[in-house]
Amino acid sequence: MKRNTPLITLLTGAALGVVLLIASMMSTPSKAPAGYAATATPTAAAAAPSTSAPASAAAPSTSAPASPTPTATAYASAPAQANYAGKVQGGGASVAISIHGSQAIAYVCNGSTVEAWLKGTSAGGKVVMTGKNHARLTVAYDTGQVTGNVVAHDTRYSFAVHTVNKPSGLYEATAVVRGATIKAGWIVLPDGTQVGSLESDADSAAPSATAAPMLDVATGTATFDGVVLHAIPVSGLTGSGF
Amino acid sequence: MTAQPSMSAPLPPERATSGAAKLVVPCLIGALVALTLGIYGRLHSPTGIAINIAGFSSPGSVKSWLATAATVLALVQVASALVMYGKVPRVSAPSWIGGLHRWSGRLAFLLAVPVAIHCLYALGFQHYSTRVLIHSLFGCAFFGAFTVKMLILPKRGLPGWVLPLVGALCFTALVVIWFTSAYWFFSTFGIKR
Repeated sequence: MKRNTPLITLLTGAALGVVLLIASMMSTPSKAPAGYAATATPTAAAAAPSTSAPASAAAPSTSAPASPTPTATAYASAPAQANYAGKVQGGGASVAISIHGSQAIAYVCNGSTVEAWLKGTSAGGKVVMTGKNHARLTVAYDTGQVTGNVVAHDTRYSFAVHTVNKPSGLYEATAVVRGATIKAGWIVLPDGTQVGSLESDADSAAPSATAAPMLDVATGTATFDGVVLHAIPVSGLTGSGF
Repeated sequence: MTAQPSMSAPLPPERATSGAAKLVVPCLIGALVALTLGIYGRLHSPTGIAINIAGFSSPGSVKSWLATAATVLALVQVASALVMYGKVPRVSAPSWIGGLHRWSGRLAFLLAVPVAIHCLYALGFQHYSTRVLIHSLFGCAFFGAFTVKMLILPKRGLPGWVLPLVGALCFTALVVIWFTSAYWFFSTFGIKR
């Protein structure tokens, strides 16, 4: 009898696990797995936006039906205020999304030439954002994280990023240097790492970017070409940057 | 619980098998458990939601507190094991130390199970950052190691180092899991309920 007590422990744990798993399956709204699978797998839905975006400027009309089907009911309700940041799948870039009421600002950046600022409105658990250079980002809310896809400079990323708190998150700085408007963005991750890019012609319809100088998160400053840039956090919690 | 022919078959009590040979089947089963969890976590599309425990602000905080409780109990495990093995100078093992070790272990395991189920069902096996990859790998490995520990506990004639080694593996895995989840959660979002 005594010899088998560890086995009882093991089987009890396994039984508990199975019960919880079944309970989870029963408590999951039936539409959620389908919608989530569509956003999580970079296959069918993914191909449509990336090909249609460069083809026509009126991308929303063609890619809106093709985008995944995250209905508002299937997801955790949209938070009124939240900041999300993290690396995209594969780690080739970072993405930051700030939600402030119905307004949403996002930035995707690989620390070099691929970057885009995006704006949009948040409604019904789903956000669609657009930016220059045919940049487009769709997200669906989840508990404590958002998942979605973003296309910037014809590069497509999918992501699942979590909420972040200060000092992590999105920072932006704009300045006029020798007549040109420059705009820099940095995404600071919870582990303290950052990526940033700088548009030296931010007013252009198709701005080009280079790697941004290191942002000193403590002081919110960075030095570019001898000019001190003052960065402000883009935070959905405080409304800063909106 | 003697009516477990399939499980007790590989451990004939008085056969003179070598100590190491007795480890093969438990280790294979443990590896199978770890692999099953990992493959399930990879193949199952994460739902983002699972059943939740009332009274906490988010699934993340529930899991962080459960994981923290399990890790504290794991510290009790190490401390009580050291006492049982007579490794603590000037402390002789009291009669209740075995019970403490067994029950703290059982409780820690049962606390860890709901956390793991939430991870597997809602989040899945992920690799989008080093922390998450390490957490996913050790999360699967822990339950494999724990299975091995439970399966070899009743076996007689094992080399003396086996149980401490497997126990230490379990403990190490749990601490790594805790550092890459609850510690990260609390240091990112603050210590909240």
